[in-house]
Amino acid sequence: MLSYYIYLLVITSSMLVCLILYKSVKKTALKYFLPFLVLTIIVELSGLWMNQHGIKNYLLFNVFTTVEFVFYSFLFFKHYRKNENKLLSLLFMPLYTLAVIINLIYFQGIERFHTYTFLLGSFFIVVFCCLFFYESVLPEYIESTLTKEPFFWVCTGLLLFYLGSVIINALFEYLRTFDMQFEGKKIYSTINQILNILLYTAFLISFIVCRNNNKTY
Amino acid sequence: MPQQQQDILITIIIASVFLVLIGIFLLVMLFLYIRKQRKNQQEKEELKNRFEQTLLKTQLEIQEQTLSYISYEIHDNIGQILSLAKISNLQLNKENFESKTELIDELIGKAVSDLRGISHNLNHNNFHQIGLYESIIQLLHSIEKTGKYTTSINATDANEIEGFVSENDIILFRIIQEIINNIINHASANHIHLSIEKKEQFIIIKIADNGIGFDTTIIKQENQGIGLHNIYTRAKMINMDVEINSSIGEGTVVILKMNI
Repeated sequence: MLSYYIYLLVITSSMLVCLILYKSVKKTALKYFLPFLVLTIIVELSGLWMNQHGIKNYLLFNVFTTVEFVFYSFLFFKHYRKNENKLLSLLFMPLYTLAVIINLIYFQGIERFHTYTFLLGSFFIVVFCCLFFYESVLPEYIESTLTKEPFFWVCTGLLLFYLGSVIINALFEYLRTFDMQFEGKKIYSTINQILNILLYTAFLISFIVCRNNNKTY
Repeated sequence: MPQQQQDILITIIIASVFLVLIGIFLLVMLFLYIRKQRKNQQEKEELKNRFEQTLLKTQLEIQEQTLSYISYEIHDNIGQILSLAKISNLQLNKENFESKTELIDELIGKAVSDLRGISHNLNHNNFHQIGLYESIIQLLHSIEKTGKYTTSINATDANEIEGFVSENDIILFRIIQEIINNIINHASANHIHLSIEKKEQFIIIKIADNGIGFDTTIIKQENQGIGLHNIYTRAKMINMDVEINSSIGEGTVVILKMNI
């Protein structure tokens, strides 16, 4: 539970930093993070409340994770410089939403976590991160220092989060089987929360980098 | 919990950590690669800047050489003629009036003709207008004019050099000029021969003199003269090999080999 509170604290800090530095952040595509982080906090708190009252929160997280993937894809669309990459991230948004709907209706149902499409989304986010890094090493774009690029930090967080969470998400159902339930759940939530802390810390750094880039000395 | 399930959970944790480490490794590699690329780019830029500086310096040196030639011509030639004309004018009297005016007229005519020559030289010495080959010809011509040297040139592939070395021609010309300066200052020669030929993918320029020659081992010494040092650094800048063949009493041949 401690890591969960730390996780909530990191998301809230990330949202507050985004709000405080909004003057600098709004000049970049990261401005969309503010409503997204507010939504994240609302969803997390609602999920916690539902969990404590014995209400299944799968539908909430199925919808939220879909919105999350679409949102990240939109950010990639905004940051890519090559048209083919832009097109790929743009096409991903409707097609992924469609895939989740099909999955929820015909395959996994709304009473379960959409692991198939979650893994598909994770795969694409990792691919998008790699494409962004690939663009960064192209001679025509190599001038800027990567660590001074706010979206680099977002990408770093996303890459580590989705690489690290792929196994626990692939084995999500298995970890919740009756004989593994307690330890499985514990391991799932611990790994997930640690990775989330990493992810939202990376977001927080990206907002600070936005501010540093706008400084006039 | 059975041992088998515990193993599975540990495997899951290890695999997840391993994947995160792969991600970190990827990021570190990316960071190092970009840093290396940027360093390379900076080095390239520095090299370009150094090349431009050398080019500018070379142009200034050529201008300086031209001005020093003009100064020499005015002082030693036109100045002398006009002084002679002035003296003749002072010596004018009724007896020698006719012969002296004739002499003064002749001297002033020569001064005017020499001035025209200098003006013509100034106009035609513009490197960018006349190109490398014509500049070499002018250079040899001005050396011959001193009366101390005879020159010859064998350039069957002269047209080739204009097309191939155009970007670096001013530096190449400055190198040739520096080699000829060395001949004038140190070789005690009376003949300079220059040849230009194209061999496979190389342009080869040979500058030979019949002077006293020198021991080529001094080239390898660190305290070689500024002139020689300039020749080597500039040749390196335009990707040109310099070979100096000489021995005491046998004259010197400098071979410039440029890859086209």
